[in-house]
Amino acid sequence: MQNALLIGLSRQMTLERQMDVIANNVANANTNGFKADHSLFEEYLNSNAREDNFLSSDRRVSYVQDRGTFRDIAQGPMEPTNNPLDMAVDGNAYFAVQANGAERYTRDGKFSLNSTGQLVTSDGNLVLGTSGPITFQPTDHDINVAPDGTITVLEGTARTDSIRGKIRMVSFDDPTKLTKLGANLYDAGGATQQADTKSAVRQGYIEKSNVNAVGEMGRMVEVMRSYTAIANLLQQQSDLHKSAIEKLADVPA
Amino acid sequence: MQALHTAATGMAAQELNVQVISNNIANLRTTGFKKQTAAFQDLIYEHIRRVGAQSSDQGTILPVGVDIGGGVKTVGTPRSMTQGTLSQTGNDLDLAISGEGFFKILMPDGTYQYTRDGTFQMDNQGRIVTAQGNPVQPTITIPNNASGLTVNVQGQVSVTLPGSSSSTILGQIGLTRFINKAGLQPVGSNQFTETPSSGPPQDGTATAEGYGNITQGSLEQANVDVVSEMSDLIAAQRAYEMNAKVISAADQMMQSTTALFR
Repeated sequence: MQNALLIGLSRQMTLERQMDVIANNVANANTNGFKADHSLFEEYLNSNAREDNFLSSDRRVSYVQDRGTFRDIAQGPMEPTNNPLDMAVDGNAYFAVQANGAERYTRDGKFSLNSTGQLVTSDGNLVLGTSGPITFQPTDHDINVAPDGTITVLEGTARTDSIRGKIRMVSFDDPTKLTKLGANLYDAGGATQQADTKSAVRQGYIEKSNVNAVGEMGRMVEVMRSYTAIANLLQQQSDLHKSAIEKLADVPA
Repeated sequence: MQALHTAATGMAAQELNVQVISNNIANLRTTGFKKQTAAFQDLIYEHIRRVGAQSSDQGTILPVGVDIGGGVKTVGTPRSMTQGTLSQTGNDLDLAISGEGFFKILMPDGTYQYTRDGTFQMDNQGRIVTAQGNPVQPTITIPNNASGLTVNVQGQVSVTLPGSSSSTILGQIGLTRFINKAGLQPVGSNQFTETPSSGPPQDGTATAEGYGNITQGSLEQANVDVVSEMSDLIAAQRAYEMNAKVISAADQMMQSTTALFR
C-alpha cells in the first residue's frame, strides 16, 4: 500500500534536484564560457522479500534516483567584442590560470591587465603561458594574439613585433572528470592533461554560455508537470487509502 | 527548494546587466565615453555525489557526480577601452586623442584626474580648461590678444601674437598612460582617477612611445555600438524573463506539495 507513496517520493526528490540544475543553467545563460549541466537518472530496484509466503511471488519495486549530472561540453557561441584582450578557445582546450596557489582551468576568456602589466582573469588570477605568467611592458601597444596563442606587441616606437609569451592551452583525456569550482573555474580532478595543439585562440571574441535557453524552458515545464502529476498521484493514493479504511470500518448496524 | 534562490541570483544578475547596458545607451553621445560590459561567474557547487568516488569494492568509480550549482554572481563591469571614432567639430579647442593616452586635469583639491574628453575651453585668465573649468596639464595660458590658435599632433599649442608674422609656441599639452587603463575608476564628468589596479600614471607627450596623437578640431565619440547594445538588451531581458519563469515553475511545484492531503 505504501509503495506508491515511496516511489512517488523518490521521483519527486530527483525532479526537485533536476529543477535546481535547470535553474542554475538558466541563471548562467549570460555567463562567459559556462557549460550547461544535465541530470541523469537510473532505476533503483528494491530487492525481493526473502520469505516468499505470498500466493504469487512478490514483484520488485522500482524507484528512481539521480545517478549524476553530466556537463555539455559543446562549444558556446562566439561573441565579437573588439577588445584585444578578450580571447575565446575554438576547440576543446581550456585556458590555464593560477588561482589560490593551484592551477585551474577556464573557458572564460574575459582577460585584462593588472597594475604590473600581467594578463589576469576578471578575478585577478594570473593567466598562464607556456613559460609562466604573461607580462606586458608599459609602452606596449597593438597587442596581437595568434591562433596558436602567441602574443606579440609593438613596443614603444618599434616597428617589429616583440613576443610577450604564448597562451597555454590544455586539453584533457576525459573532460567530464573536471569538476566545477564556481567562478568559471575547473579543477582537473583525476583527468590527465596534455598541451593542446588542435584548438585555436580567437582574439577579440568571448565564448558565451552554451545553455540552450529554449531547451531548458522545455525541460523545466516537463519537470514541473511530472512533479505536479506525482503530487496528484500521491493525493489519489491517499484518498484511496482513506476510503478503504472508512469503508472497511463501516460496520453495518 | 534551491531552484528559487538560484533563479533569484539569475534575476539579480540580469537586472544589473540591464543597468550597465542602459548606462551605455544613455552615454551614446557622451564624448570620450568607454562602454562597459557586465561579466558573470557561476557560484560554488554542492557535490551531492562526488565524481570519481568508488561505487563498488571492485574499484569501479562513478564517471559523473551530482553537482548542483547555486546560481550566478557578477564579477565585474570591465570597461572596453577601444578607440572611439573621431568626429570633426572645427572648434580650435576641441582635442581628440587617437591612441592610448589620457588628458591630465588638475582638480581644485590639487589631485589629478584623467579624461579622453577633449571639449576644452578658455577661462577668464586665458587658461585651457575642461568644461568644468579645471585646467588641463601642463597649464597653458593664452594671451588675450593672440590669434590663430593651433594645437599640433604632439600637443604643442602655438598662437600668432600681434605684430609678429611667425607663430609662438606657448606650451605642450601632456598625455598620461596607464598600464591597465581598464582599471581606472570612473568618477563621472567623463573623468577617471588612478587606482591600485590601473598602475601609476606615466606622464608623457603625444606621439611618443604609443601615447597617441592629438587631433585638433575633433572630438572622440563614445565607443558604444548601439546595435550590439540593443541585442544585448534583448538577450538580458529574455534571460530575466526565463529566470522569472523558473521561479514560478518552482513555486508551482512547491504549491502542489503544500496542497497535498488537505
